[in-house]
Amino acid sequence: MIGSYIINIAFLGIIVSLVAYYISFRNNNEKFLTYARIGYHTSVVGLMVASAILMYLILTHQFQYTYVWSYSSMALPTGLLAASFWAGQEGSFLIWALIAGFVGVFLMSYSSNKGYEGQLMFVYSMIVGVLLLMLIVKDPFLRVWESFPGQVEKGFMPADGRGMNPLLQNYWMVIHPPVLFVGFAAMGATYAFAVAALLKKDYTHWVRPATPWFAFGVLSLGLGIMLGGYWAYETLGWGGYWAWDPVENSSLVPWLIGLAALHTMLAQRRSGAFVRTNLVLGIFTFVLVLYSTFLTRSGVLGATSVHSFVEPGWMAYILLLSFIIFFGGFGLLLLFLRMREMPSVPIEYNYMSREFALFLGAAALIFIALFTIVGTSSPIITNLIKGQVSAVDISFYEQTTTPFGIAVAFLAGFAQILWWKSSKARNILRNMIPGLFISAIATGVMIVIGLTSIMMILLTFAAWFVLVVNVQMAVKIGKNNPRFVGGAVAHIGVGLLFLGFITTAMYDKQQTIQLVEGEPVEALGYTLTYTGYSPAGHERWAFNVTAEREGRTINLAPVMYQSDFNNSLIRNPDIVNRLTFDFYLAPLGLDSKEVDGIAGSTHTLQRGREKNIEDYTITFVGFDMDSDQHVMGSSNEMVIGVDLDVSYNGEIERVVPEIVNRAGEMDFRPAMTSDASLEFNVVSIRPDQDNPDRSSVTLDIRKGGTQLTGTGPAKTQDVLIVEASIQPYINLVWVGTILASIGLLITIIRRANEARPKNVESWSAQ
Amino acid sequence: MNAKAIVAGVIIVIFLIFGAWSFLESNVEYTNFQDAYETGRTVQVEGTWVEEKGDEYNADRNEFIFYMADKNGQVVRVVLEGPRPNNFEIATSVVARGQFVSEDEFRSTNVLTKCPSKYEGTAEEMMGASSSDGQYYE
Repeated sequence: MIGSYIINIAFLGIIVSLVAYYISFRNNNEKFLTYARIGYHTSVVGLMVASAILMYLILTHQFQYTYVWSYSSMALPTGLLAASFWAGQEGSFLIWALIAGFVGVFLMSYSSNKGYEGQLMFVYSMIVGVLLLMLIVKDPFLRVWESFPGQVEKGFMPADGRGMNPLLQNYWMVIHPPVLFVGFAAMGATYAFAVAALLKKDYTHWVRPATPWFAFGVLSLGLGIMLGGYWAYETLGWGGYWAWDPVENSSLVPWLIGLAALHTMLAQRRSGAFVRTNLVLGIFTFVLVLYSTFLTRSGVLGATSVHSFVEPGWMAYILLLSFIIFFGGFGLLLLFLRMREMPSVPIEYNYMSREFALFLGAAALIFIALFTIVGTSSPIITNLIKGQVSAVDISFYEQTTTPFGIAVAFLAGFAQILWWKSSKARNILRNMIPGLFISAIATGVMIVIGLTSIMMILLTFAAWFVLVVNVQMAVKIGKNNPRFVGGAVAHIGVGLLFLGFITTAMYDKQQTIQLVEGEPVEALGYTLTYTGYSPAGHERWAFNVTAEREGRTINLAPVMYQSDFNNSLIRNPDIVNRLTFDFYLAPLGLDSKEVDGIAGSTHTLQRGREKNIEDYTITFVGFDMDSDQHVMGSSNEMVIGVDLDVSYNGEIERVVPEIVNRAGEMDFRPAMTSDASLEFNVVSIRPDQDNPDRSSVTLDIRKGGTQLTGTGPAKTQDVLIVEASIQPYINLVWVGTILASIGLLITIIRRANEARPKNVESWSAQ
Repeated sequence: MNAKAIVAGVIIVIFLIFGAWSFLESNVEYTNFQDAYETGRTVQVEGTWVEEKGDEYNADRNEFIFYMADKNGQVVRVVLEGPRPNNFEIATSVVARGQFVSEDEFRSTNVLTKCPSKYEGTAEEMMGASSSDGQYYE
């Protein structure tokens, strides 16, 4: 297939680029720089053409291609159809390679006027090359008879595809993966910067041009992660935006490392210290992206996660593992070889300096990353050590990361108050007073309304502190120099995020509720009524629930359906968004229930079940129809006896009221207990021949002529089981994310501007 | 300088010990019912649903009750705090996470069901699903 050839051409292009870039910086040869660029651009054009072909095949339903058949179908709407491009392994590697290719074009022009292009693009080409290698092994352009040799006849065209996993079928599928891959590509760039610095033996200047790229990586990967969290919350019904799931954790780890690096790089720019730290962190950004890919795509976690990980075959497994070893080994070996010639600038051991605070904050982030990766890898670790697979509980992550989270939050406020090099204690204190004061009051309020754990109280205090201090800073910097406001704005976002984590984790309320159709139930301040289900698109069902609160009624329609694709029950929640909280309704299941009728004069007895009425215990034993005495001479008369066991004061007596059916006309014959205290009249009978135990009878029972009150006939009703929850101030999480992103964007612009050659004396100073 | 390095080293070691301790503490092992009963710990037990013994959902308490045989064939009554799990009937095996609260009740907070995966398509499926209306072309 032409697509496969083009992938091969793209791979050749990248090899040319790799070799030519190497020669160009080795021999300082400008001509080879040109060859390298041609090679790289050929590769990117190849990736564009290959992607266009795959997209065309998907949009035109060419099901003779295994990939198209596996992940799309005729029924998919256009948006999702396009998104099925990255619904499978091969396609996700293609989109990753394509985006990495594009990012590389920017990286090339960014680095060309800074004297970095040779080394940087040499390393970056290796990354694109490895992705292309993966595409050669996992070819998205295989046809079905090539995928199933001997089983499928050549030229066969399936009528329809298997379709997309229903869990992926919403608009987040269109936006989330590409953003995540931009993050992955940016982390490739940060790796390339660190390794290029080692190749160039320039251990100090590289941080300046690299800073905006680290910020870009943190921004894009962070956005990708949060979009995934929002997706899980809004559509998948996880009940929250974060579940410490391996898929989430494994992209969180490189993000944390990139974030730590961003901060120590700022410290290096000021103090010259952290030379090795930054190189190591830079190397690990991309190695951890690869490890993340390995964890989620190699099937190693298959036994212990709710996610269904596809087994990609041993080829991909080995390849991914060797990529990790290759990129990790290459970077670290180079670092080891160059270690001696690196300048060693001791950390300013002034504890009251901003660089020291940044260092501590970065160290705390690294610890969070370390514990997260250890926890996520626990199935692998336990398998290696004990030969038995087991995973850690979510409590592991909460327990280990919270103390470091407190440190991160506090330092994100504290560092802003400190000056570079050193600060006077008096100044620090003076600047801290508003923050400490407001945080103490706010934390006090939150303790009063329900915070109990010491860790959460500390975290709350730190979260308010980072928020207040950074608002202070943003106002101050914003007045004088708005271009520098990025850090403060991003950290306001961080403060809001932390507060959102706390409110949603500590003040959330949830309740499992059964909603009998038509019966209102009070829960969490809402009056919920299940009103029945209605179709919601192809084979899907919406379960309509009205939620009434303070006179306002909102209709919620969580969706639940059995999916043919993977034979599973899909549940989508529905949410009431309010400014201060979300009311979240996740469907759990639909059941049915025997409910008593309305209280009244009759009693309904299920066969075999005892019923206590006043001091009597009455059991409906069964119908008595075959006994001869009931069959009268006249053939059109039938008598049905209702056998009742009446127990009173430990004595059991059989009482048999009867129904006489004479030519369609019903006649009821009451029966009395032997002491004539109770009289039984049959009101109606409901025999069930398939399942006699489901038979029931409704009786009118009189004691001394007075009717005993009971309940009417039972009926079967649908019961919708839902989990309702209140997510207080969850909007803080989303607003925090947006502000942090805006802050990072401002930072990127500022740092990219600072890295422009005209703003720097000399880049190529060897 | 040296004293500082030692202090830093000690702090790091303390953190690592804290992490290792948490790891062991929260590690949920895969084991069998016998072991789970003897240790009383929260564990994961893999096994199969004993269909003959039936199952029941108690809507009032939101509990799903079923019988499960572990790999040694020991059958235990499992009470899941929640509704019937996804794909319970078609699961080839189930993994119950929880602990014994009494001799005859394994109280579970989460039951995973392992299903015959349909993620990867097979040739039979392709031919079977569409042989009637599939078309050939050159």
